[in-house]
Amino acid sequence: MAKRATILKVSGLRRAFGPNTIFDKFSLEVRTGEAIALTGRNGAGKSTLLRCLVGADSPDDGSVQVCGNAMSEASPEIRRDVATVIDDLDFFPDLSVVEHLDLLARAHGIAEPDDVVDEVLEEVQLVPQSGQLPGTLSSGQRRRLALATAFVRPRKLLILDEPEQRLDTEGVIWLAQRLKSERQKGLAIVFASHEPELVDTVATRVIELGAPRG
Amino acid sequence: MSSLEADADDFAYQQTAEPSTLTPASPRELKGLIKDWRAGRATRNVMQAMGDAYVAVFGAVMIGAMVVNVILKAQRTIAQCTSASCLSARTLLPWAAFAAAIAIALAASRLFGPVLASAAEGFWLLDAPISRAQLLRSRLVGGVLAAFLGGAVVGGLVSALTGSGAVEVAVWAGATALSAAASVAFAAAQQGIERHVLTRVATYVFGLLGIGALFSVVGVAAGWFSLDLSNDLGTELGLIMIAGSGLVLAVSAVVAALRLGQIRRARLLSGGALVSGVSGAFFALDIGLARDIVVERRAIERGHVKPRRGKGLGLEAIIWREWQRLWRFPQPLLVLAGTIVVPYAADALGMSTLTPVLAALALFGALIPLLGGLRVLTRTGGLARCLPFSLARIKLASIAVPAILAGIWAAATTPAYLGFGDGAEQRTVPDASFVAVATALAGLLAAVRWTQAKGVDFGAPMVASQAGAFPPGLVTNLFRGFDVCLLTTAPLLLGFSPFWSLLIAAVAAMILLNSMDAEALRARQAEQQKQMAAQRKQRDEAAAAAKQRKR
Repeated sequence: MAKRATILKVSGLRRAFGPNTIFDKFSLEVRTGEAIALTGRNGAGKSTLLRCLVGADSPDDGSVQVCGNAMSEASPEIRRDVATVIDDLDFFPDLSVVEHLDLLARAHGIAEPDDVVDEVLEEVQLVPQSGQLPGTLSSGQRRRLALATAFVRPRKLLILDEPEQRLDTEGVIWLAQRLKSERQKGLAIVFASHEPELVDTVATRVIELGAPRG
Repeated sequence: MSSLEADADDFAYQQTAEPSTLTPASPRELKGLIKDWRAGRATRNVMQAMGDAYVAVFGAVMIGAMVVNVILKAQRTIAQCTSASCLSARTLLPWAAFAAAIAIALAASRLFGPVLASAAEGFWLLDAPISRAQLLRSRLVGGVLAAFLGGAVVGGLVSALTGSGAVEVAVWAGATALSAAASVAFAAAQQGIERHVLTRVATYVFGLLGIGALFSVVGVAAGWFSLDLSNDLGTELGLIMIAGSGLVLAVSAVVAALRLGQIRRARLLSGGALVSGVSGAFFALDIGLARDIVVERRAIERGHVKPRRGKGLGLEAIIWREWQRLWRFPQPLLVLAGTIVVPYAADALGMSTLTPVLAALALFGALIPLLGGLRVLTRTGGLARCLPFSLARIKLASIAVPAILAGIWAAATTPAYLGFGDGAEQRTVPDASFVAVATALAGLLAAVRWTQAKGVDFGAPMVASQAGAFPPGLVTNLFRGFDVCLLTTAPLLLGFSPFWSLLIAAVAAMILLNSMDAEALRARQAEQQKQMAAQRKQRDEAAAAAKQRKR
């Protein structure tokens, strides 16, 4: 059986805020078809770690490589390969839901994006809101739109920070099945979550960060 | 007494107690109570606060005196000008200010309410069994008064700066003040019945009238046509405007006051939330954030659009979307068209030396709304991370449409630099073209700098002042954009060749639009430093091990 390709390689990562070390000597290797769940109490450093993995934050030490390229948020190759849903996603106030997805698909070179956009809209149950401007969406709908932006484009690695946030029960079940299917198709996934069902369904490995609550 | 008897007594007491008749507090009493609470919590009075911030107060007084002095000097200089250009500007610009004041007052009223309430008032006061109309009356009066004062300042300043005499200045200050106040009262009357069509139509009509008046100034100065408007006639018409505006103000204010009680709480609170968001952003001197809040509110008001299919692939898709977004909200184009008049008007008024600076500043303001895409893509970085391009290329794609419009603006303003007004500086066509291009670049790059501005970093080292510590960014943020504008046009102001301005613009463009490459360089540098530190650590460890072995 052929060895699966390494998509993400993290070596000796360290991040500290003043005297408070969030994580140190953190290493990780994620191959195609693997899903890593990061768990741990609030403040354990899950989001900080994910921000370092996507280049939104700079680690104090260590390295992050995506498909053999050193992580740099500026690198177009990395932006092409990594789809992220972390808390800093912004939307154009005057572009509708469907127009955002159409723009992202076209920017990634999908010449006829209608089918994939419609399919993703259907999945995230935003068809009735397709013409709405983002400012009018509820927080749950905005979360679904953020998730849709990750699924509407080509990707090799998916990084998600608490993707279940603000989703209803049905939404969490859908997300778990979708991520499981993405993993089975060969996508590498790293996600932080507090939702046991999501972790159990999707993750091939679970990493608990920080000391357990004493 | 047994417990049974005690219970019976309690029961009897409950039965016999007369339910007391509660008299709800009046709005005046409630306001008085709130005022007492607030005053009771104050730790310093106004004079003490001003004493602490005396440097700022002293500075404001100094700058105010200088501004008044400059205005008076300019008024005296321009009043001596008797050319056709000056006369047309003197006659028509107060009209433009009059129409613009109405348009701005109506637009602001529609955006904020104009009658509004804070979240706390909405929760604690509007739910109380009191007359809502009585409670909100002071808000209506406050809005009308603010518009009156603002209008008076605008009308008086424009009239004075075009060289009008004291009577004309007073007439136009009064007319513009009353018209702005009437506009707010009219919008409040419409707010009472939740109809905004008339307000919206009036905003556009008066906006167009203002632009029309500006174009007339240029037309007369260029000799394309002549308007037989004497200053006296203008003053008489101004008096008629005072009477008309006063009548509209009186009727609208009465109607608005009668309808105050009908305004929905949600509408009152949405205006209050907008004001609190915008004022919070202004307190942090984050004008970009204040604009973001207003833009978001406008989009929420629109709510739904007819989706349009995108075009192109890659960066082309971003450019097409920018174009479509502009067609969806085309109002900024009107403002941009209006600014074409600025260099012509400045030249017509005999301020040809200042023309490039004034024109660049006007273009700077007009282009900011057109750079909404750049703003969204640069303010958090989240959306840009979803796109498979470097930030430098994303920025170029985002400014492509505004850059094309700035190019058209440069072409349209080139004749102004040929020596338009009487006594203006004469230039050849190529020279005038270069000046126009340099001015357009100054405006565009200033708008790009302003749009990309990050919020003030309150985590940065602070600077001590009498009024407390503040981050240096709080002050420098105010000048963002203006610096590029003034730096780029400085050679033109000093009479140097426009090529110097083009050179400065090229350097500014490289810095502003290529910043991500600079970030990449910084990242590479940091990586190299990390590697060097690791090597040094290894060497030190090896040396320590060798020492250990020797021992």
